[in-house]
Amino acid sequence: MRIAFEEMKADRLLTARTEHGNVAPVLLARGDEPGELRTDVPYQMANILLRVVPYLGSDKIAVVARRCDEKAIAEMSKRGLLDSGKISLIGLACDAEQVSECRCSDPCPSKVHIGECVKASPTDKVVEDLLAKSISERLEFWTAQFRKCNKCFGCTSNCPVCFCDECLLEEKTFTPEKGIPPGFAFHLIRSIHLADKCVECGECERACPADIPLLALRKMVNRDVKELFGFVSGDGETTSPLLTTLDGDSMEGDNDVC
Amino acid sequence: MSVKHVLTTCPYCGTGCNLFLTVADGRAVGVIPCKTDETSQGQLCIKGYNAHAFVHHPDRLTHPLIRKGEQLTQAGWDEALQKTVDEIKRLVAEHGPDSIMVLASAKCTNEENYIFQKLARAAIGTNNIDHCARLCHASTVAGLLQSFGSGAMTNTIPEFEDADCLLVTGSNTLEAHPLIGARMLKAMEKGAKVIVVDPRDTPLSRIATISMRQKPGTDVAWINGMINVIISEDLYDHDFVAERTSGFEELRELVKSYTPERVEEISGVPKQHLVDAARIYATADKAMIAYAMGITQHSNGTNLVRTLANLAMVTGNVGKESTGVNPLRGQCNVQGACDAGALPNLYPGYQGVEDAEVRAKFEKAWNGELQAHKGMTLTCAFNQAFTGEVKGMVIFGENPMMSDPDIGHIEAAIQKLEFLAVIDIFPTETAKLADVVLPAACYAEKDGTFTSTDRAIRVVRKAVDPPGEARPDWRIACELGRMLGNDGFEFDSPADIMNELAAVAPIYGGIDYERIDRENVRWPCPSKDHPGTKVLHAGSFKIGKGVFAIVEHTPPMEETDEDFPFILTTGRNLFHFHTGSMTRRSVKLQRESPEPYVEICSEDARQLDVLEGQSVRVSSRRGSITLAARVTDWIRPGTIFIPFHYAEAAANRLTNNALDPIAQIPEFKVCAASVEKA
Repeated sequence: MRIAFEEMKADRLLTARTEHGNVAPVLLARGDEPGELRTDVPYQMANILLRVVPYLGSDKIAVVARRCDEKAIAEMSKRGLLDSGKISLIGLACDAEQVSECRCSDPCPSKVHIGECVKASPTDKVVEDLLAKSISERLEFWTAQFRKCNKCFGCTSNCPVCFCDECLLEEKTFTPEKGIPPGFAFHLIRSIHLADKCVECGECERACPADIPLLALRKMVNRDVKELFGFVSGDGETTSPLLTTLDGDSMEGDNDVC
Repeated sequence: MSVKHVLTTCPYCGTGCNLFLTVADGRAVGVIPCKTDETSQGQLCIKGYNAHAFVHHPDRLTHPLIRKGEQLTQAGWDEALQKTVDEIKRLVAEHGPDSIMVLASAKCTNEENYIFQKLARAAIGTNNIDHCARLCHASTVAGLLQSFGSGAMTNTIPEFEDADCLLVTGSNTLEAHPLIGARMLKAMEKGAKVIVVDPRDTPLSRIATISMRQKPGTDVAWINGMINVIISEDLYDHDFVAERTSGFEELRELVKSYTPERVEEISGVPKQHLVDAARIYATADKAMIAYAMGITQHSNGTNLVRTLANLAMVTGNVGKESTGVNPLRGQCNVQGACDAGALPNLYPGYQGVEDAEVRAKFEKAWNGELQAHKGMTLTCAFNQAFTGEVKGMVIFGENPMMSDPDIGHIEAAIQKLEFLAVIDIFPTETAKLADVVLPAACYAEKDGTFTSTDRAIRVVRKAVDPPGEARPDWRIACELGRMLGNDGFEFDSPADIMNELAAVAPIYGGIDYERIDRENVRWPCPSKDHPGTKVLHAGSFKIGKGVFAIVEHTPPMEETDEDFPFILTTGRNLFHFHTGSMTRRSVKLQRESPEPYVEICSEDARQLDVLEGQSVRVSSRRGSITLAARVTDWIRPGTIFIPFHYAEAAANRLTNNALDPIAQIPEFKVCAASVEKA
C-alpha cells in the first residue's frame, strides 16, 4: 500500500488479498482498508490489469507484478494496448516453489519490492523429455494430450498476451463448432499465434482442467523463435520480427526497428 | 469508475464452482476463476467463463406484465401481485387449495426454495410443490433413500481424483459436469481405470479403459450382469455384505440368470467387456460410481438407481473415501431445492409430510395447520391440469414448455388452466402463455446459497443490481405470502431465511451465513460445532443395514416398430444449458453450438441417404421437428440423439411422458422415433 500510494503516487493498486476464506484479485483505491494482502497465489495480474484498465480512465495504477507480468505488460505497451506511463510495477520475486512449478528460466523482476530473487530453473524437464522423443512419439504424446481438451478457452481467457479483437479460435474455418475435443488446429493456431508474444507465465497450463502441459508447448515454440530469429519476447522495445517488413535488411536480429 | 471482483457460485451445473464476476461500473463484464476454491481449483468450463454473458441481455424482463386478451402488457408491481393473490384466493375458495400447483426452481437459491414451499404449504395450504428435480434426479432421491437412507451423493467431488476405478454411466461428464470430468482425468493420470457405459461415445468414453455401448433401456441387465460375474467369481466383499447389508441371498438368486451371454443378448454389451468391467470394478481398492440422467430418466429409474446401489454394496464400495454411488446433479441448486423441501412429499431436510410428529413440528414452527396428505408431483400436475383438477399454477424460474416431456401435451394442459403466473428472468416459452409475468433477479443480482451436487453449501453474492424493476424471487414470494395473510414471511434478508431453514432442517442445523462465508461446509451438519460431512454412510447406514433391491430387467415403455424404427435419446451438450434461456443468449456459447441437430450414425444415415448437415424430419407418436443431421460414428446404430436446448426444434415435442411409478420421473431417455429427409 505504502509503495503504491506514497512512493509511486498511484491512484489504484492491483493486488490480491484474503476475501471470504479465499484469495481474490482486488483493485484498491487510495484510502481503502487494505485487509490481508496476499502474494502467495499466482493470479495472472497482467491479464487482470488489461481487463480493468478500460474502466479506470486516467487513473495511475500500481500492480504487484512478477517477472512474467512485467514482460506481458511490456508486450501490451509495445502494441499500444496500455499506456506504460500510467502503470507502475511493484516487483514481486517468485519463491523457489513457484519457480519450480513454472520451470522458470527468468524469475527475477527488474526491480524487486517484495520477496527475494531465487535461482532460475536451468532446464524444463517436460520440454527436455519431449525433445528426447522421436517426432512420431511426440505426435502421439500431443494427440493424447489434445484429446482431453474440453474447449473451455481457459488458456486464452487467462492469457496475458491473448488480446486480439477477433479470436481466430472462435472462427469457423479453423475450429468448426462441432463439439469436443477441438481439432489439432485449435492448439497449433494458438501456438503459432503466440510465438512472438508468449512470456512463459504458465497461466494456460495452470488454467487447463485437463492438465495439458501447455507451458511446455509454448516454451518449445519460443525456443524455435529464438533460434530462427534471435528474438525473445517480453521487453518493451524490441519489435517482433514477425511484424517487421520483408523489405530492406535481414530480419535476423532486427532489433533497431521500434 | 469502479471495478470489483465478486466471489460467487456458477449458475449452471451442480458442480458448484466458485468464480469471480468482474464488475465494472455496475455491470458484470467478465469472469475470473478462483484459484483457492476447493471445487474448481482456479479452472472453469466454457459455460463458467461465460456466466456473465446473459446478465445484462436486452431480453431481460424488467417490468411486471399482465395479460390483456392476447397481449401481455406492462403493469405495476402492486397490480400484478394483487391480481396473482386474488386469483389464488378465488381458486382456493372455489376449488380448494389442491387446485393450485407451485413450481419451485433449481435455479433459485436455498432460501428462495424454502420460501416457495412455505408459500405453498403455509400460505396457500397445499403440499402441491415440486420442481424440475422431478425431471432429473427424483429417482435418485427415492432410490438411494430406500437403499441407503439418504438420497444424496455419497461422496464428494475432490474424491474422484483419488479413486482407483471409476464406473461412469449415463453421464457425459466432460460435457455436462466439466470440472468433475477434470477430476476424472486427473484420476486417470494417476492410473485409475475408467469404465464408461453409454449408448453414445462421449469425450470421456473415447479415452476410457473400457467403453460399453448398451442399447438404451437395458441398464438393469448389464448391472445385474456385472453383479453376476462378481458373485460367481467370488469377488464380492464378504464382510461388508454380512455386516452391513440385508437381502443378499435374494440378490444372488436374482442375478444367476443374468449371465454375460444373456446380458449381451439383451443389451448388446459384448460379454467379454462385461466380465472385464466387473473384474476391474470389483478388484479396485476404491471404486466410485458416477451417474446422471442416463440412469434416472427411465420409467424404471428408481429401480435402476437401486441396482447401482446393489453393485456398490456387493463390493463394499460405500462409506469410504473415493467410493460410493454418486449422482451428478445437473443444476446449480437442484440439490438445495430438494434439501429446502420443494418436494410434494417432504418438508425441508427430507422430513415426511405424512409423519404426524414431523407435521406437528412444522405446524408449530409455521404457526398454523398443515395438510396431512402429500402433494402432487410436477409431472402429475400437468396431467391433472389437462383433466381440469389443477386450475392454477405459480411457476418460479422453470420452463416446462421446453423442459418437460411431450410439450404438445404440456401446452394443452397450460391452456386449460384458469390462471398461470410465471416469475422468471427472460420471456421464456412458458412465460409467453402466462396471465401474470413477474420479472426476477438472476443469480448475479442477489444474495443466497446454492447446494452443490456434493452437498456443499456454496455462497451466491450480489454483484450487480437487477434490471429495471426486477426483484429477487425471495422478495416476490415473501410478498405473495404476506398478501395471502400469513405472518411467516417477514424476512429482511436471505441470511434470516437460512436461520429459519437451519432451525427446522437438522441436516442444515449448523449452517449460518457467518460460517459459510469463509468455510465450505457439506451437510449433514447438525450443529454449529459440527465440521460437516464428506463421506456418507461411514460405519453404518442411516437406516441400519443397506437394502439390496431385487430388480428384473423390463423393456422401456415404448419400443421401436416399423413406423418408428429408431430409439431417440435426449440430453445436453457442452455449450448449452437445459432450455437455453441463458446460454443461447450468451454470444460465445451460441457461436459454439448455434443450431439444433440430431446425431445419427453413419450407417443409418447412408441407408436413409442423409448427408452431414442436411435437414431431416424426426417424428415420434407425439410430434415432429425438423433439424440438421449430424452424421457420426459416436452413436450406436439404431439410436439417435437430440440435445434439448433448442426451442426451434424442441426435442421434448417428441419425448414420452411415460412415468416411473415410484418417482414419477419421465422416460426422456427412450422413445421410438422415425427419421426422414425434410
